[in-house]
Amino acid sequence: MNKMVRKANAFEIVNHWVLAGSFFVLAVSGFGFLFQLEQLNSVFGSFNTMKVWHNWAGVVFIVSLVLTIVHYLSVSLRFTSDDMEWFSKAGGYLSRRVKAPPQDELNAGQKLYYLVVLVAGIAISASGLVIWLRPASSDITRLVLISHLIHNICFDLLVFAIPAHIYLATLANPGTFRIMVYGTVPLEWARKRHQKWVQKIGV
Amino acid sequence: MARKALLISPERCIGCRGCQTACKEWNHLPGTKTVNRGTVENPPDLTPYLYNRIRYIETATEADMVRWLFVSQRCMHCGDAGCIKICPAPGALFRTKEGAVAFNKEKCIGCKLCVAGCPFDVPRYDDKDKISKCHLCYDRTSEGLLPACAKTCPTGAIRYGERDALIGMAKKEGYGKVYGEADLDGLGALYAFIDPPKLYGMSEKPAIPESVVFWHKVLKPLAYIGLGGAVAAAVLHYVAFGPKKDEEVKKDE
Amino acid sequence: MTNHWIDIKNADVILVMGANPAENHPISMKWIARARENGAKFIVVDPRFTRTAAKADVYAPMRSGTDIAFLGGMIKHILDNNLYFRQYVSEYTNATFLVNPEFKGPWQLDGLFSGYDEKGRKYDKKTWSFQTDENGLPKKDPSMKDPNCVFQLLRKQYARYTLDKVSDITGTPKEKLLEIYGLYASTGKPNRSGTELYAMGWTQHTIGTQNIRAMCIIQLLLGNIGIAGGGINALRGESNVQGSTDHGLLFNILPGYLPAPTATIPDLKTYNEKFTPKTKNPKSVNWWGNRPKYITSYLKAIYGTKATKDNDFGYAWLPKLDEGMNCSWLMLFDQMFKGKFEGFFAWGQNPACSGANANKVRKALAKLKWMVNVNLFDNETGSFWKGPGMNPKDIQTEVFFLPACSSVEKEGSITNSGRLAQWRTAAIEPMGQSKPDSDIMNELYFRVRRLYQKQGGKTPAPILNLTWDYGEKGPDGKVRKVDIHRVAEEINGSYLEDIFDSKATPPKQLGKRGTLCTNFVTLQADGTTSCGNWIFSGSYTQKDGKKTNMMSRRGKNDPTGLGLFSGWAWAWPVNRRIIYNRASVDPQGRPWDSKRAVIKWNPTKPDPNTKKPGVWEGDVPDGPAPPMAMEGGKYPFIMMATGMGGIFGPGLAEGPFPEHYEALECPLQENLMSKQRINPTIKLFYDKSSGAAEDVYYSCDVRYPFVATTYRVSEHWQTGVLTRHEPWQLEMQPQMFIEMSKELAKEKGIKDGDKVIVSSGRGKLWAIAIVTERFKPFRVANSTIHQVGMPWCFGWQYPEDGSSGDSSNLLTPTIGDANTMIPESKAFMVNVEKA
Repeated sequence: MNKMVRKANAFEIVNHWVLAGSFFVLAVSGFGFLFQLEQLNSVFGSFNTMKVWHNWAGVVFIVSLVLTIVHYLSVSLRFTSDDMEWFSKAGGYLSRRVKAPPQDELNAGQKLYYLVVLVAGIAISASGLVIWLRPASSDITRLVLISHLIHNICFDLLVFAIPAHIYLATLANPGTFRIMVYGTVPLEWARKRHQKWVQKIGV
Repeated sequence: MARKALLISPERCIGCRGCQTACKEWNHLPGTKTVNRGTVENPPDLTPYLYNRIRYIETATEADMVRWLFVSQRCMHCGDAGCIKICPAPGALFRTKEGAVAFNKEKCIGCKLCVAGCPFDVPRYDDKDKISKCHLCYDRTSEGLLPACAKTCPTGAIRYGERDALIGMAKKEGYGKVYGEADLDGLGALYAFIDPPKLYGMSEKPAIPESVVFWHKVLKPLAYIGLGGAVAAAVLHYVAFGPKKDEEVKKDE
Repeated sequence: MTNHWIDIKNADVILVMGANPAENHPISMKWIARARENGAKFIVVDPRFTRTAAKADVYAPMRSGTDIAFLGGMIKHILDNNLYFRQYVSEYTNATFLVNPEFKGPWQLDGLFSGYDEKGRKYDKKTWSFQTDENGLPKKDPSMKDPNCVFQLLRKQYARYTLDKVSDITGTPKEKLLEIYGLYASTGKPNRSGTELYAMGWTQHTIGTQNIRAMCIIQLLLGNIGIAGGGINALRGESNVQGSTDHGLLFNILPGYLPAPTATIPDLKTYNEKFTPKTKNPKSVNWWGNRPKYITSYLKAIYGTKATKDNDFGYAWLPKLDEGMNCSWLMLFDQMFKGKFEGFFAWGQNPACSGANANKVRKALAKLKWMVNVNLFDNETGSFWKGPGMNPKDIQTEVFFLPACSSVEKEGSITNSGRLAQWRTAAIEPMGQSKPDSDIMNELYFRVRRLYQKQGGKTPAPILNLTWDYGEKGPDGKVRKVDIHRVAEEINGSYLEDIFDSKATPPKQLGKRGTLCTNFVTLQADGTTSCGNWIFSGSYTQKDGKKTNMMSRRGKNDPTGLGLFSGWAWAWPVNRRIIYNRASVDPQGRPWDSKRAVIKWNPTKPDPNTKKPGVWEGDVPDGPAPPMAMEGGKYPFIMMATGMGGIFGPGLAEGPFPEHYEALECPLQENLMSKQRINPTIKLFYDKSSGAAEDVYYSCDVRYPFVATTYRVSEHWQTGVLTRHEPWQLEMQPQMFIEMSKELAKEKGIKDGDKVIVSSGRGKLWAIAIVTERFKPFRVANSTIHQVGMPWCFGWQYPEDGSSGDSSNLLTPTIGDANTMIPESKAFMVNVEKA
């Protein structure tokens, strides 16, 4: 029958949702700031409290982001020829016929996504901290302006990347979402998608 | 309502600083502890409690004659205001119906981005981390009164009125160019300079920082486009290719 | 001011010398700006490039204390180049008068005039007189060619003031002198006007009065007195200094510039004989001929029904000065220093900071038994006993503080420099226990009066006989609260009987018993009128029973466009805005300059009083008489017995023409103009054989090589008692500073913002150095002379942390002008060292 394998542990699941939750708060309030969406006052009360939410959600985001480094960095930096092939075939997403090469624990797209989140996350966090904790003095105007620019570039990147991630993890790949709920996937499902990993763990 | 403005004429200014005091009086701003730094000019810069100050510029000329210029430094009430542009909090910085750039401390979230967005280094933050700067006394002008500085100026070095009329007045007084006539969609603080603005410590071509313009024109729309694009791509993909089903994977195998 | 503030806008050339209006009289700059916009040229002469100089068309530096040399050079320039207004000079001034042939001047006596008594340091003025005809009238030479006529003597006096000599003395470059002389002298034309604005920069010198005299001569030569945009205009240092002087602030005058009586004048008759000038010239109005009316009405005002014809209207009760007695500021504090006083009311003043040689003043206060400090805040005077260098244990002075309320907490008039008395209402109730000065005086009066009633005392009459009907009285006879309107009514005066013009047939009623006077013209010398101050008569009038406070009028009409605003408040005398305005028209009554007609004679329009044709239009003329050349016409200078402007002025101590003398403390061993280094008539408080060490002075002494001057700043009021407590002002001007040239700073190793020690023979203090291009070294007598300047607005007491420093008056000398005894705070010698 459907044998289940563990794809994610409890820590990973919790951290994912912490990261996702903080990002959600950040993104919504971020949009609020960017476009002065006063409608959000019905959620946050005021822009002042929204700013508090934004800043402290940012702190949670940073902590969570740092924790992901421990878990995924080494895996994500390892790119093999299979990964390259995966990219050339666009992971098989753009055709019903093309077969994606066998993948490890994380497929190449996931690795790339992680790295994007990591880089953009670090950049948006660092620039966010500059904007938040800057002294009132105008001597550091240049730094603030650069930070403001980076914060917004990263935001633009993330508001593109995250919906893609959500789509791919839900509608595009039925069955994936449960990893971030139960941590387990059917063995067959795993074999199809993470062949190398399944072999490695020797199930 | 026709846009209102200040016309500041350093040629008429006698450096008495009645405007500095009148401003503090009207706006209930405290005096701060200062020292003499070897100049009459004090405080040395705008502060959260100093919306308007006179700069004293001493220049020796070729003829071995000194000149002493008195120039009011304050918010310029730009027509295209970098501070308003960059401000994330609705209503924190706003344009009055007279055309001034005013603020509402209650709505200010203390992010200080306006400090970076200002081409003239004007906004300051008070001890509660709220924006503080000249607001052209909109609480007076909206009631038909003059701004405190213009009201108190004994020589007419600070005049308040309809912007177009003030520009006309300055031209009639022989000033070929009025500083701030066109820059930044026209400044709300116009200056009648007889010499190049640089001499008065003013930038020749004031502009909002380029990164802010880029952000405003490109990045901001991109944020919508990004989000919308991502969602649209997902929908398109779903329609075109559908989900990766296990069955399919199986078949492929 | 002969003119008024707004009138500055009518000038073609404005000379500011001895003043710094941008910093000390900011509102005047509005009118200067207005004049400049109409094409006027603005000249500033000052040792330092001030905020006023920053607005000038022409600026010239000048070493402190050399104004007479500067102006003497201008007189020479005007005479040499025939730039004077010939008709004005010959018809309206005493230039044509022949002077006593025995009169000799500085050009003959090496800096002295004839009649000098070296021992007494004063002149016998016998030879300073005019030759007179059989009627006692001065002999004239209308051609002004007689070698003894004033005009020719003037030429001789200033022939020595050559460009080279003047430049050598003043340190002003020759080309600047020429530029300014030429520009200012251009106002000698009938259609050009020039005004001069001065303040303490002219008065606070040992030759202060003569500084102003020199300018008066220039203004008369150029025909600038009496006209719009002309005049000689003192910018008063406080908003109501004019008013306080008008009302008898000084020791030597009673209200309305009536001389204070002396012990040698036993009765009113003698007083009137001595002080009432006479003339047999029917064309001379000789207004002071009315003196008996004014003194009698004054006595009636202060002693009321107690003043009768039989008791000389109470003349005996007036306090008398000993003959030659001087009770000016310097003398008072000198006497106090010598322990001659028991008590002292420091009323609205801060002598511990404002007094010249403030160390001496502070020591003098310690010699008192008691002091009453009446002020808004405690100050360095009230707290002198805990000041620097004081040991409270050794000081026996008991100090009382009476809190006075501020000007916005009380009603009353203030009279500004333009003689404009404006009524102010109280904006708020007095704060805390503070009271208006009038109420404090009221308390004092009744308590003193009660003591006199109980104990008798030596001279109770002057107090017991005083009228004091200034408000509703309580059962004890004390006025509960002073109604300042009653004071204003008393000043204006009232008719005690029905007054008739006896010359008219039938006698015309001038005033109705029990009503307020119309003006001083109707005052009488027989005790039937009462008037507290004749020059203010007309300021609070009554018509058909209705009283009108003229000072509270707010009319905004200006029909002449000259800014007279005759319906706004009220100016003394009789609401005249420009005095000596009869000099603004030619002898036929036609304005010299029809575009700026202050008054003009309309020969056809009937006079509303006499119904005869011929009436003056414009400002209130100096008397209704027709123009000078007509029948019954009068000379323009109505306050002079001769009716003529005084180019020759024998009234002053130093001589009838101003002569340059150096300041008591100066950088030169010799006066380049004559052997007479300092003003020969000043009272010296110190010389090597006598005088207190506190009064020491050092001239041309290597220990104190730099010329110093003191001044005010726009950010502080006087000694700063009001403004140092005010954080907004203190923020702008927080600390004592000294301005100096880059050259001097380099010489002394001082950098901008450094703390330096400034010292004089009398004291020392710290100051922050402002090293500036605005001060330049002077080239004087082939050597370089540095000058520095300091404000006197700071004091040790407040701010409490002592961060402001102390008053520059710690350095100033004990020496005064020979006529007024105003201290010489504007030119003295100091040393500067890096702290």
